[in-house]
Amino acid sequence: MTENMNEPVKPRKRRRLSRRDFLIVLGVGAAGFYAGVRLGTPYLRLRLVDFLEESGGPPSNIDAPPDAWFEILINNTVNLYLPKSEMGQGVHTGLAQIAAEELDVDLDQMQVFHAPTTRLVDPVGTSASNTISSLFTPLREVAATLRELMRAEAASQLNVLPQDLVLEAGVFSVSSNPDQQRKYGELFQSLDQWELPENPPALKDPSQYRQIGQPLPRVDLPAKIVGKAVYGFDVRIPGMLYGAVARPETIEGKLVNASPGQAASLPGVVKVVTEDDFAGVVAKSREEAYRALASLQLEWDPGKLWQQEEIEAMVTVGQGRGVVIQREGNVNQNLNNGTLVEAEYRTPMAFHAYMEPMAAVADVGPDKVEIWASTQAANRLRGAVAEAIQRLQDEIVVHPVYLGGGFGRKIDELAAVEAARLSQTAGQPVQVAMSRPEDFNTGFLRPPTHSILRASLDENGMILAIEHEASSGEVAFPFLPSIMGTVMGADFGSYRGANVYYAVPNKQTTAWLAKLPVSTGWWRGLGLMPNTFAVESFIDELANSANLDPLEFRLRHLPDDETGQRTRNALQIAAEEVNWGASLPEGHAHGIAMSYDYGTIIVEIAEVSVENDQIRVHKVTAVADPGLVINPDNVIAQTQGAITMGLSASLLEEVQIRDGAFQATNFNQYPLLRNADAPDIKVVVLNSRNSPTGMGEPPIGPIPAAVANAVFVATGQRLRRLPLKFD
Amino acid sequence: MNLKVNRQDYQVEDTPDRLLLWVLRDELGLTGTKFGCGIGICGSCTVHLDGSPTRACITMLSAANNMEVRTIEGLAETDSAGEPVLHPVQKAFLDEQVPQCSWCMSGQMMTAVALLEQNPNPNADEIRQAMNSVYCRCGTYYRIRKAVERAAQLKAVEQ
Repeated sequence: MTENMNEPVKPRKRRRLSRRDFLIVLGVGAAGFYAGVRLGTPYLRLRLVDFLEESGGPPSNIDAPPDAWFEILINNTVNLYLPKSEMGQGVHTGLAQIAAEELDVDLDQMQVFHAPTTRLVDPVGTSASNTISSLFTPLREVAATLRELMRAEAASQLNVLPQDLVLEAGVFSVSSNPDQQRKYGELFQSLDQWELPENPPALKDPSQYRQIGQPLPRVDLPAKIVGKAVYGFDVRIPGMLYGAVARPETIEGKLVNASPGQAASLPGVVKVVTEDDFAGVVAKSREEAYRALASLQLEWDPGKLWQQEEIEAMVTVGQGRGVVIQREGNVNQNLNNGTLVEAEYRTPMAFHAYMEPMAAVADVGPDKVEIWASTQAANRLRGAVAEAIQRLQDEIVVHPVYLGGGFGRKIDELAAVEAARLSQTAGQPVQVAMSRPEDFNTGFLRPPTHSILRASLDENGMILAIEHEASSGEVAFPFLPSIMGTVMGADFGSYRGANVYYAVPNKQTTAWLAKLPVSTGWWRGLGLMPNTFAVESFIDELANSANLDPLEFRLRHLPDDETGQRTRNALQIAAEEVNWGASLPEGHAHGIAMSYDYGTIIVEIAEVSVENDQIRVHKVTAVADPGLVINPDNVIAQTQGAITMGLSASLLEEVQIRDGAFQATNFNQYPLLRNADAPDIKVVVLNSRNSPTGMGEPPIGPIPAAVANAVFVATGQRLRRLPLKFD
Repeated sequence: MNLKVNRQDYQVEDTPDRLLLWVLRDELGLTGTKFGCGIGICGSCTVHLDGSPTRACITMLSAANNMEVRTIEGLAETDSAGEPVLHPVQKAFLDEQVPQCSWCMSGQMMTAVALLEQNPNPNADEIRQAMNSVYCRCGTYYRIRKAVERAAQLKAVEQ
């Protein structure tokens, strides 16, 4: 099951398709949206918040017939082409399980590929943990439709009724005469007149699932384990040259003058490009390209030399634009009744720091442009390349390949655009594969945040009113048409996780948004981790003020609905797992935090000790409830991975700006969590519904607060700033 | 110069400042060895030089002269029928479903192989310390430790 980057783009036969759409529509969100148009902008905004919280962001509209998704070879191997990127989160396996379920085949009969944009286009990209939830039904419908088309074809060829056929492992046989058979592979080849039904066939009842819910091994690992999987950095095309691009040292740096100097005469150099805003070199080897780049004569305007303090001042509650995104009861009237508690929290900017720096190969030819890239958003990348080299989108084919991590940043199309510009000039395929400093210093970061929380407690220790004011740099807005920003008012990426989930009669959340001189954007979970750090730390502070156990305090404030029930269950299971309240080794303490994010419930309990002001996380126990579980082992893997990445962010990571530039350019100045400091992580997976929610991001939310809450128990000191450290 | 990689001889040009990593990846096409930082910190580029784990991104090509270079592509053996037989470390990483994005995994597995060749029966702390040298951003550290333990058991059974 390998990723073959040279998979030929099969010319699609013209087929007679009845116009059945495989659109994923806005569903329940659409009703709210249209109602909002009549009821005014503030109403619309609140409904949009509700919709996005439930659904995990804008859905993917993929309108394509079954033969775009599937190709069945004569030997009965099912090739599944996916418009979603495999960046380590395991979606190719989960989607293959979902497709295999309705096709009634086993995963070892399938091969999974990234779909080139000529085959399938996902307008949204791979993000927001919504791959599985948004494709769960459409992909089953496509698979079931294909199955039934092949059943009808088999019945016609065997001269029996469709219901007289038995299906097993991709082979139809006549029930009264099992020797009479037709394989999927044969039927697929003979299907050139496709009559798609008006409605999809009935889908399996969950009790019938054989693939969904099984801890099946990942389809991408056999190639990865032997070093054969191809990533953007690894793509090799005949005649491919290596590009190197000049980059400013400051965040506002602009090229004002460039001349080739001696570069063109250096060994291996094929082309030197010096344009108004762009300078680069194309050479026969990477080493030669970078050596020549260093000899270009470049003049930069560094722009304003920003300092860290100026950035932080901009991201402060009350600065920029504030929009109310949650309002129940009357907070202002009730904050002054009872005991007032107030606290503020900050989180820093952070790099994505995936292990594979940005990389892409472009082959710009006279009739066709081909791009191979580690990308989370092939469609967006295609548009950006088209604009950069002034070509029609239809002339451009993007082949997404494996990503060595993405975490939101690989929505960025820069490497592909640069490779295309260089290839266009050189007339040969060119790879741009960034060094680590280039990757760190080019593109966007997780924005800094600032939160102020206020609450009043009544005499029984219940929260009477709670207010969260959350300030952040932009996350989604830089990537959306500006009209969306006008309608939404607040950036749904930035305020993700800011709303107070608990049942409190009076609550209000305001999202403050700052446009910063440094580019900020998507980072695993978006605002979820920074906001959950603030809210879940504050809930712990309230429990302490109320003199209540933090677990008990949370249980008393759960909403009285299905989600509240699921959360109660998850909290109690987590507590049982760690024997909450029982004594721990000397100096160790437990901290708990939870999140309800895009329909997924996560509870995390960290066991922590502090020695010589050093925080050590010994063990993390997590409970994950993503509704319907597609692959329990992958839910565990995503939970372990997100917790570990979140611990790195909680304990170590921070980007600061000095004199207009990032202080860190590589891992020597931006260390990540290492193996010896990474705890064992026990994960309990709950299966509570008939449809799946997301798992790639939600488990990163609670971990910083779980650790900070444990540090408070261990030391009596409340740390309100990431990374967590003692001053 | 002659460069010996995975028991094969290659003739490569040894100009000054050539780094082993780019020769392996760009000239020999062995892209299983990855680039991560270029300063020897992250460990994605770890290969063996005469059995010792070595950062290819900061190793001059000339340093590999007269040495045996081993990369991820050289870990699996081939059986008499021409089928690949995974190294116990690869098998254990697969059994434990360790990799996610897998960009760091060649470095992780080469580090684990070197550990087990020097210390066939490491305790939990020795595994933590040995595997501490390679970053994994997807956060698979816990599974890596379990896989190295399993690989040690698999190797013990094999012998």
